[in-house]
This record gives sequence, C-alpha cells and structure tokens, in this order.
Amino acid sequence: MSSIPDAIVNQDAKFLTDNAKRRKRLSLWFYFLCVAIALISVVILIVLMVSIWSQGQSRLSTDLLTRAHSELEIERSGMWPAILGSLFVCGTCAVVALPLGVGTAVFLEEFQPTNKLLRWIHGFVQLNISNLAGVPSIVYGLLGLTVFVYMFNVFGQIRVNESAGMEIMGYKHFYQVLTLEPGHVVFVPQSDPTKRQTTFDEPFQAVDPDGNPIKISIWTPGTPKPSDPAIRRQTVRAGAIGGTITERNWYYFRLPFDKSFLSGGLTLALVILPIIIISSQESLRGVPSSLREASMGLGATTWQTVRDVCLPAALPGIMTGSILAMGRAIGEAAPILVVMGAAVAKSSGPKHLMDDAVTMPVLIFNWAGRQQDEFKELSAAAIIVLLVILLLLNSTAIYIRHHVQKAQS
Amino acid sequence: MPLPKALQNREFRSTRSGAFSERLIVISLALCATATVLITVGIIYMLITQSAGFFRSEAVTMSGFLTDTEWTALQSKDLAQAKFGILPLLSGTFRVTLIAMIIALPLGLITAIYLSEFASARIRSWLKPTLEIIAGVPTVVLGYFAILVISPSLQLISDGAFSTFNATGAGIAVGILCLPMVCSLSEDAMRAVPRSLREGAYGLGCTPFETSVKVVVPAALSGIISAFLLAFSRAIGETMVVALAAGTLPTMTLDPTQQAQTMTGFIVEMIKSESEYGTVQYYSLYAVAVTLFAITFLMTLGGQIIRRRFKESYQ
Repeated sequence: MSSIPDAIVNQDAKFLTDNAKRRKRLSLWFYFLCVAIALISVVILIVLMVSIWSQGQSRLSTDLLTRAHSELEIERSGMWPAILGSLFVCGTCAVVALPLGVGTAVFLEEFQPTNKLLRWIHGFVQLNISNLAGVPSIVYGLLGLTVFVYMFNVFGQIRVNESAGMEIMGYKHFYQVLTLEPGHVVFVPQSDPTKRQTTFDEPFQAVDPDGNPIKISIWTPGTPKPSDPAIRRQTVRAGAIGGTITERNWYYFRLPFDKSFLSGGLTLALVILPIIIISSQESLRGVPSSLREASMGLGATTWQTVRDVCLPAALPGIMTGSILAMGRAIGEAAPILVVMGAAVAKSSGPKHLMDDAVTMPVLIFNWAGRQQDEFKELSAAAIIVLLVILLLLNSTAIYIRHHVQKAQS
Repeated sequence: MPLPKALQNREFRSTRSGAFSERLIVISLALCATATVLITVGIIYMLITQSAGFFRSEAVTMSGFLTDTEWTALQSKDLAQAKFGILPLLSGTFRVTLIAMIIALPLGLITAIYLSEFASARIRSWLKPTLEIIAGVPTVVLGYFAILVISPSLQLISDGAFSTFNATGAGIAVGILCLPMVCSLSEDAMRAVPRSLREGAYGLGCTPFETSVKVVVPAALSGIISAFLLAFSRAIGETMVVALAAGTLPTMTLDPTQQAQTMTGFIVEMIKSESEYGTVQYYSLYAVAVTLFAITFLMTLGGQIIRRRFKESYQ
C-alpha cells in the first residue's frame, strides 16, 4: 500500500479551519470592496448631474434657446446659433461618414478575400481601422486643418479682404459705393475680379439694394448739390471709391474650404468613421451565416445577398452604432475647435456651404473658460441642453436595441 | 418538359449589365475601404510635411526639441527668444495621465471583476447603463466638472495647496473618462474566460476572491493589458478636459498641485491664439502632434498586438 502524501499527513486541523476562515473573510471583504467601488461610478454620475443642474438651472430660459452669444448683454446670451451650427456640422458628418463607414464594413465582412495577398491586405485594413479608432481626435483636427481648411495652400490662402481662394460657383462680386443720400449704397457688378476697388468718374449702370437696375449720375463738388432724396439716391460724388462686396448663394463653393462648417463636418466624419465601421462590422457578424447560405443557394449574387438579406438583418445594430457615433460627434469639441477656431461671436446659423459656424461644445468650452460667473452658469445651462439632446439620442438607440431584441427572440 | 409557368420569362443568369453593376458595386465598396487607408496615409503625410516646416527653421534644432526644458512657443512673440523643448509638455501630459491611470485602472478593473463575477443580472442591468452614460458624457462636460467641482474640492481639502488649475483635477476627470472604457474592455475579456475554469477553481476549494483574482484575471490578462494600453493612449490624447482644467503654463516638475500644460492643451492654446499660418510657432503645432501621434499610435498598436498574439483561445 502506498503511503499517504506528506501534504495530507502533516496537517493541523486548527490551522486548516483558521486558514479557511481567513480566506473566506478575505473573499467577503473583497466582495464588499467590489460593491463599494462599483458604487463609486454611480456616485460620480450623480454628483456630476446634480452639480451641473444646480449651477445651470437658473439660466435655463427661452433666451438661452433663442438668442445668440453676446458680450454686452451677458445675462441674455443664448445658444441658438450653436444649436443650428451643431445640426449643420453633424448633418454633414452623417452624410459623409454613414455611407462610407457602412460600405467599408460591408466590404470587409461580406466580401472575404480568397487569395493570400488579398487576405494580407484585408488584415492590414482591419488593423488600420482599429488603429484609427485610437488616434486622438485632436490629430484628426489638425488633419482637417491641413487638408480641408488650407488644402496644403495649393489654392492660395484665404485672407479677409484680400483673397478668397479659388471660387467655383454661387458667388457674385459687386463694388459697393455710397450715394449722396447718407447711408444709401448702390452696387455695381464687378467685371475684373482681381481689382479690389474702383473709382467712379462717369455715369454708370448699377443696382439698388432691392435689386432694381438704376442709372447713376455723377455730382462734382463745386456744382449745386441735388436736394431731392430720390435724385440724391441716384447720384454719386465724382471720384467716389467702391469697395468689393460679395453676394453668396447657398451653394457657394470654393477651394480651400477655410474655417467653414463643411470643413468641420468632414473632419468629424473622419473622427467617427472608425466607430461606425467597427460597430457595423459587429452587427454584420451577428447575422447567422445560414441566412447568407440560403440566399446564395437560391441563386442570389453576393451583392444581392448583402442588400436583401444581410443589411436588413443587421440594420438595427448598424443604426444603434451609428446613433451612438452621432452622439459622440455632437459632443466632440477638440477637432471642431482646431478646424473652425474658438470664436463664438456668430449670431446666426450658416448661410452658405462655406459659412463658418459655432457648435454647442465649442460654445460651452468658450463660456466655461471665462471669468464672469454669468458665463459659467450659462455654460452649465448649455451643458444641460446638450446632455438632454444626447439622452434623447441614446434612448432612441436603446429603444431600437431592445425593441429588436424582443422581435428577434 | 416545359417549364412551370412561374418560371417562364425568368432570367437564370446574371445579365451582362447585372454582372457589370455587381462589379461596379464591389469596386465602390472597395474604394470605401481604401478611404480608411488613405486617412492614415494622410495623417502621416501631413504630420511629416508640416512638421518639416518646423524642424527646417533656424530657431529649432532636433536635439533642442528633445532635450530643452523650456517651451515658450506661445509666451515669446520674438522667435529668437522662443524655446522649443518638448519635455515640459511631455511632463505635463504624463503627470495628468499618471493620475488618470491611478484612478481609472484599479476602479475600472475592480468594477469589471464585480460585473463579470459577482453582480446579479438585476444589478448589471442598471450598472452597465450607468457606465455607458458616463462613457457618453462629452469630454468638454467633464472638463467643466473638473473646474466646477473637482479642483475647488481639492483646494478645500488641501487648504489651498492646489492652484486653481492643476494636474490633479484634470487627471481625476480624465480618469473618470477612461474608467468606463477600462471596465467594459476588461469585462469583455473576463466574460470570454470559459465557465469550466471557474468551476475547476471552485471545485478545488477556491473562494470567489481567489477564483476571480488567481484564475479569471490571469486567464483574461491579455485583454486586460490591452484595455489598459488603450485607456492610456486615450488619456494621453484627451484634449478638452486638460484645456479647461490643467492650466496653460508648461511646467517641468513632478508636483501634481501645479499647472501642467499638456501636448493637447498646447495645441488648443495655439489654435486659440490664432497665430499666423506659416510661422514657426504655427508649425510647432505639428511637431507636438507628431510626438502625440507617435506615442498613442505605438500604444494602440501594442494593445492590438497583445490582444491578438496572446489571446488565450479555449475550445
């Protein structure tokens, strides 16, 4: 008969029970530690919400939602242009990022490569996407600044009153000249785009502010000045200087994009593209392969399978992921700040494709960094508005997820 | 035998135009995928060409950039007096990141252990959304939280030893930001550990503590470490919190009560100062961005490789 192992022979019963008790106690303490630490995140969230609510609730008013930022009337500053701006920027972002992201995900998931080289490329693209997801958003901001705002200065740099870059469509240049009637101006279509200003010595054809063509006569100092306001409105002092003014249609387009909402939206699209790709890939992966095989078996091509079987089945997942990504885009401040600058003085939403804009996070950042208490409170109020919007978005995503989970089970 | 009526007048092969449009679609999808590669190429090309404008300048030397202990790109308008040494910005970044990691890693990991090993389904169902909400809070909001709550409380506790803007306040806020990320990634890794391992441990008489710490965590270690690396790179690249709460003075100390301008914080300040395109100060943006990109890129790549290479697969 073999002897009993040492480990079992030399054991002290008291030591064993004590040891077991100690270990159980340790385990219990660890459990309490876990509960306490898990509660910390709940506490953090509550403190965050309560502190911001108590700071900002007194400033929640219709002024906040309908008026623009104002240095003079701090009390009545608002965030309406910022709401519009966020809408435009995120709209651009969605239009660009969603098709691109879902397209990439479909390509990577559904069109699996067959030969070795293609498989290697496939793996490389996949690794590249995971890496892009880890690039700090501010680096994307600098990419946007270089590629969209300045375009490596290939098309010239945009400077106030000097150069407008390379304009392509949707613009009309006028010389603007003062008439004898104080405060009344008329416009002359500009023929030579390089001449920034011109002098008027002879009668000329012009348009008044309402767009009606009128004939303008010249008054030389020394001769009697016309007194009738109607005539004064059609008369210009000899040698008057007309500066350039530009009328832009909504489809105004130029290169480079400068600090416009279009640059901002495109940059944001780069930021959220990896997120959309990864979440779409995951939901496509969740589609059972039996569905694909059935479709292929019925004679559908790969694309037909993707379009009619995989995409509809994966749609809820893709939508959830996209909505969450849009939530990220709305709250993202760093790249927008780099691309569009930190100015918040704009009093309206963007008027044309190349117009600048303010977004909510940038406005919050600007207000939060100021000395005046009013702005700090306004900032908290703007945060409440932003969080409410995010909450709505996220609950839509959660609703879609749960609704579909129920429908599928 | 004639075909059934339903199948007469049907095409059974792709028509020529059908095959063509199928090809067209595949190509356009492939172009979408190529765009993602182009983004990476674009980032690298931009960083190299633009920072070349910085290093080509006579006011800058490569060794000075790496070893100088002063960074005064914003403070000195005169280029001759400006000092471009990245170390103070790096020191600021690492101070903030270190504090963030001290907060995020233990809290995140233990919350993940709790979620994957102990929590009942009911607790999970409200703890997970809580973490998701924290993860979804815009960073600028956390920055505001840092200057509204965290820094004043630090000053209150320490009797004013902390300056208004300090590395600790920003670090704590960044830690809060990284916590959900550490937690959800580690939890995923731990949930992937098969049940049989846990049952084996319990069968040998392990307590729940021993099972989770000595069996589950080591089994999920590659996933956990890659989560740590990803959180680290996220913290380094975090911008709005440090721009609001960490101050604007590049300092070269280890003192967490002082201001600490980070690399990202400098980029924001530079953009706010609207310095003119083409100056050395402007190009210094890209030199800082190269450093930032290199660090985060290596971290993310390391995280990816660890996760793929050392992934334990259980059949």
